[in-house]
Amino acid sequence: MSQRHSYAVGTGLFIVLGFAALAYLATQTTSVANTHQGASYSVQARFANIGQLKERAPVKIAGVRVGQVSAIVLDPKQEVADVTLSIDQDYSHIPDDSVATIFTSGLLGDQYVGIQYGSSKKDLADGGTLARTKPAQQLEEMLGKFFGAGGVADNLGGSYTVKARFSNVGALSVGAPVKMAGVAIGSVAAVHADPVKLDAEVELSIDKKYDQIPDDSAAAVFTSGLIGTQYVAIQPGGSPEFLKNGDEMVLTQSAMQLEDLIGKFLVNGSPSEKKDAANESPAGKQ
Amino acid sequence: MSARPQRNVILNALAQIGEAGLFGLTLLAAVPRSLRYLRETVRQLWFVGAMSLTIIMVCGLFVGMVLGLQLYYVLSIFGGTAASGTVVAIAIYRELGPVVTALLFAGRAGTSITAEIGLMRATDQLAAMEMMAVDPIAYVAVPRYLAGLIAMPLLCAVFCALGIFGGHLVGVTWLGIDNGTFWSNMTATVDVWKDVVNGILVKSLVFGAVVSLIAVYQGYTTPPTSEGVAYATTRTVVASSIAILALDFVLTAFLM
Repeated sequence: MSQRHSYAVGTGLFIVLGFAALAYLATQTTSVANTHQGASYSVQARFANIGQLKERAPVKIAGVRVGQVSAIVLDPKQEVADVTLSIDQDYSHIPDDSVATIFTSGLLGDQYVGIQYGSSKKDLADGGTLARTKPAQQLEEMLGKFFGAGGVADNLGGSYTVKARFSNVGALSVGAPVKMAGVAIGSVAAVHADPVKLDAEVELSIDKKYDQIPDDSAAAVFTSGLIGTQYVAIQPGGSPEFLKNGDEMVLTQSAMQLEDLIGKFLVNGSPSEKKDAANESPAGKQ
Repeated sequence: MSARPQRNVILNALAQIGEAGLFGLTLLAAVPRSLRYLRETVRQLWFVGAMSLTIIMVCGLFVGMVLGLQLYYVLSIFGGTAASGTVVAIAIYRELGPVVTALLFAGRAGTSITAEIGLMRATDQLAAMEMMAVDPIAYVAVPRYLAGLIAMPLLCAVFCALGIFGGHLVGVTWLGIDNGTFWSNMTATVDVWKDVVNGILVKSLVFGAVVSLIAVYQGYTTPPTSEGVAYATTRTVVASSIAILALDFVLTAFLM
């Protein structure tokens, strides 16, 4: 009897220990530990570019977590990303002219939405919209502005299968995402070198849903973060005509080579070298 | 059950897999009949589960500690030691926890199940049970199978918890990564469903089902000689290890 008792108790202890470990791991070491159980309300914010923002990314005010991103949808008509923020009910006194910005925690960290209070007396209501937003900063755009390279591109785009020529694709590989406003809308179907024009011809296959991309949109090879993989970003133009299957994007911006950038940066002081650098900078030259 | 001698290795292996699968169905069909031997199932759970805790806990601790140490070394090259909590947790939940637990389980509990049932077969105890109208499948095989199935996820959870503790011990206590950074990076990145449930529950349930089936099947179909028991025990470890690692790849591809 006592023998039977000891193993039964031991087995019970083992089962309790196992489930306790599982419960502890599931609740204390995962994102569940960050989610608020209390009631929350939803707010819309529209961003021109969400960068690497993901669903369930935190929403912070003054650095304190107040909620999370509950949905990210691309509005194909307007080429903006529609982000739904679910904010804890405790923080219901956010002025309705507050500014939502996409920040990065640290240099390589995850991105989150920061809200900076406005001055309005009215509070943001459930289902309301944060009209003032600042998109995620792309490293290439920042560097582009910094070096006066013009930021926006020199090549044009097409759709379903659209071609784009780059003078340099960097480490872009087949299967890399094609993004618009930071949301993936397709992938790179082929990358090959043109033996006559001596540049790289990239075929982009873009989701049929997004068939209203202006035909003067620009394609640029960007890098996700500092050491991330490369992808093709489409920056919409203003043309009333849309890209069609087989079109070629005229405006392209090639991959920035770290060496080139540093080289330009270092020689920027001397006027003669500067001229050289300026000639090179419209990377996707016609 | 012992198949006719087959020369062809591939056919032989296929026949083994097929027989093991059919045996698994027999086991499942016998589960309702074995419910009256619930006490036997609990005793087996004590033996394969609770008695395996020591080795699982010690190994989990050391796996976590070595992960913490290696990650600190590699990540410090990039100045990213703050990410080591995240990487320890994800590596343990997704791969090391389920796989190492299953391998240890096959070595610790699978072999003893095979040897025990094999000796029962070799000493005609199974035949004696049948003569006494006790169904050996329901009384011997199913309780051990169920015990393995239940024990594996629980052991895996304990392994993971000790692994995280080991990573924390080395990373935070010894090497001085900030405690808050370690945990907050982990909780920010690790997902309950994709990492914890898919890793600990789904993977280790599948491994538990397969490893227990192999162990019970090898014991039940062993040639009734002392040599046969020895071979069956060896085959349990070999077949379980191959099955665990191959299934791990397939499961990962599906669950990603």
